[in-house]
Amino acid sequence: MLEVKSLSKHFGGIQAVDKCSFVAERGKITALIGPNGAGKTTAFNCISRTMAPSAGEIRLDGRRIDTLRPYQVTAAGLSRTFQISRNLADMTVLENVICQSKIHGWRDLFRPAMSAEEIDKAFGILEFLGITRIANEDGSNLSYGQKKLMDLAALLMSDPKIILLDEPAGGVNPTLLEEIIGHIRKLNEQGLTVLIVEHNMDLIMRLSHRVVVMAHGRVIADGSPDEVRENPDVLDAYLGGALEEAA
Amino acid sequence: MASLDTNDVLVARKAYNAGLVQEVSKERAYWFPAIVLALLLLLPLLQFTGNYNYLIHLVLFTASYVVMASGWNILGGFTGYISLGHNVFFAVGGYFAGMIFARYGISTIILAPFAGLVAGLLGYLIGQITLRVRGPSFIISSLALVMIFRILFENWEFVGGAAGVSLKANDLPVQWAKLPYYYAFVLMAAFSVWAAYRIKHSKFGLGLRAISKDEIKAESAGINTRFYKTLAFAISAFFVGMAGAVWGEYLTYIRPNIFLIILVSVNMVLICILGGKGTIAGPVIGAVLLVAFNEFFVATLGASEINILATGLIMMICLMFFPLGIVGTLARLRKLPRILNWD
Repeated sequence: MLEVKSLSKHFGGIQAVDKCSFVAERGKITALIGPNGAGKTTAFNCISRTMAPSAGEIRLDGRRIDTLRPYQVTAAGLSRTFQISRNLADMTVLENVICQSKIHGWRDLFRPAMSAEEIDKAFGILEFLGITRIANEDGSNLSYGQKKLMDLAALLMSDPKIILLDEPAGGVNPTLLEEIIGHIRKLNEQGLTVLIVEHNMDLIMRLSHRVVVMAHGRVIADGSPDEVRENPDVLDAYLGGALEEAA
Repeated sequence: MASLDTNDVLVARKAYNAGLVQEVSKERAYWFPAIVLALLLLLPLLQFTGNYNYLIHLVLFTASYVVMASGWNILGGFTGYISLGHNVFFAVGGYFAGMIFARYGISTIILAPFAGLVAGLLGYLIGQITLRVRGPSFIISSLALVMIFRILFENWEFVGGAAGVSLKANDLPVQWAKLPYYYAFVLMAAFSVWAAYRIKHSKFGLGLRAISKDEIKAESAGINTRFYKTLAFAISAFFVGMAGAVWGEYLTYIRPNIFLIILVSVNMVLICILGGKGTIAGPVIGAVLLVAFNEFFVATLGASEINILATGLIMMICLMFFPLGIVGTLARLRKLPRILNWD
């Protein structure tokens, strides 16, 4: 279970995230939504420690993770993707994925880069996502959607307890969107906890068990998709638009 | 699809993987560097037929640059941190071994690994500080390092200040005098190429490559980037320090203006860029070409400034046609001759 308690982050005078608190329950899909500039991605970055939070506490299964370094957060079982897919160019998809495999102790450093078990495991994941055929493609030659799938594959390689997906549907065509929704649902059914930042209301409403709405760096609503949809504050934040359309 | 058993999928996948591995290893030519090494080890036999000291010197000189450039490549090529200050470790290795040699008479060839360790340790400490920045800031910090050490060594009386310390030449007949250093450098070069290969194909090497592409992504993939790059810095300093140790005794003196000039570190960078940054064969090819260009133009144009100009010009032309270095560009175009595929 991921617990975020009064998380704050400011850049100079701008309060990007302001005493934000929410919980992502184990085995559930939690969505973080809000209008542009609400502080969702900043909150995300603070949780994965890509950024240092200004104040607040983040706990993963009771253990504080906001004091760790990013790689330690990943080792603790929290892995993330990036809004704009960050892939490692000049490395094959297989290498990109295996790069995220766990390393135990310094002796592991000088083992061969890709052991047979790791290759098997990586191919298993690629097969699950249906992208085995691009395994030996260079990471930079992929289409946008393939990069998103590769990110997801790399994520799974680190055996995470919880995954943070930053706009998994951003810039993805409708067919692939259905595919990604299917993958996330299947992973969740296997017991993986998911936290999503997303703009696509359709995806949020269909997928998530719980929705946290942010605006101006604060949490303004928190509940099931239906509850949130009815919440006047949320409608107000969105200027009475997106949610009604989606519904 | 229903008829396809899961086991069939597994078997098919295993066969596919095995095929891939085989394909890669079929392209590699380990035998070529092995033969080159064997020939170089036998080369001194020529001394029985005449005086080939000049040839021996050229191979020795090239080998010393292979050691240094291969070492530099671990930080500059694999990890993507361009250092113009690696001659500091050349100097530290040279002075450490040179001073012990001058005082206690222990051969620098025996001391070389220890000099490497001292340089590596220093590299680790310096890396802790300078690797916090990347890109141009890191390059400038590495230049500052050279200046700091130049001032330090020029004013440190214990190591002879700007005049340096002269070291005793060995008392072998002139025909054999170069051979201990020759073998030391050739073996160190072979070791550094082998080590670079092992590192590139390890988990550590994969992590370094990830760091060179995208450090934030690498860190979020679970890689301890700070430790990885500091260790890469230390390992690359180790090789450069080891080369420095033997170089001092070979020249018979240690002095700041041989070790701590920018030309030495620029040469390491040029060799890697010319041969191919981040490749295994690159530093070797680059070192051979750089020394060959230099000698050719010294022979034809005389040892004036013109030869440096001509070498520079040739290198510029090379880089116009081989922007990723010779090995790097050919590999990208899939035109790399098999004998140069050591990666």
